[in-house]
Amino acid sequence: MENRTTNKIKVFRAMRDMTQEELADKVGVTRQTILAIEKNKYVPSLELAFRIARAFGERIENVFQYRK
Amino acid sequence: MSYVQFKRIKVLIASFVSATVAIAVVYNNIILALAGVFIGILFLFLVRKTTKTVLVDERIENISGKAARLSYAILTITLAVLSLLFITIGRKAVPPQAQLETLGITFSYITLLSLALYSLSYKYLSKRYGESDDE
Repeated sequence: MENRTTNKIKVFRAMRDMTQEELADKVGVTRQTILAIEKNKYVPSLELAFRIARAFGERIENVFQYRK
Repeated sequence: MSYVQFKRIKVLIASFVSATVAIAVVYNNIILALAGVFIGILFLFLVRKTTKTVLVDERIENISGKAARLSYAILTITLAVLSLLFITIGRKAVPPQAQLETLGITFSYITLLSLALYSLSYKYLSKRYGESDDE
């Protein structure tokens, strides 16, 4: 199935000067998972998506987008 | 300990276990093989326990699940085909090859056991993760 989910994790990380490792530690996953999500190779679960958005202090829809 | 360090230690432990088992096979010593495997498992358990880094997350579990399903499909189909082949060849051979037929029957039982195990674990996990008869 085609992946229709995109995200702005890289942008939000850059804005906060945060490394992938730091974000991974903050949300409780491996750095490889953050890398895969950033490259749109893996779609995170709803729970992880919320955790990532919360780590940036943003709403989930600001970080993740779903295109029709 | 970082994830990379953990992976390196895991490779070291795997090398140690394989070397011990290889030496045990050469010297025909089962105790050495068992001790090597036991020490490897124990050491891996201790390393996992002491490391603070996240080692398994939802992506890894996802990949593991897919890999397990793929392995299961390949193994079950291969065993089923082999069992059919062995039983047929064993019966049709002149003179009949009873050992080949027995091997085929054993493979078919293993296939059935694997299917039963899959069905049971699927049912259990399906119930655990919310399948219900209620509307």
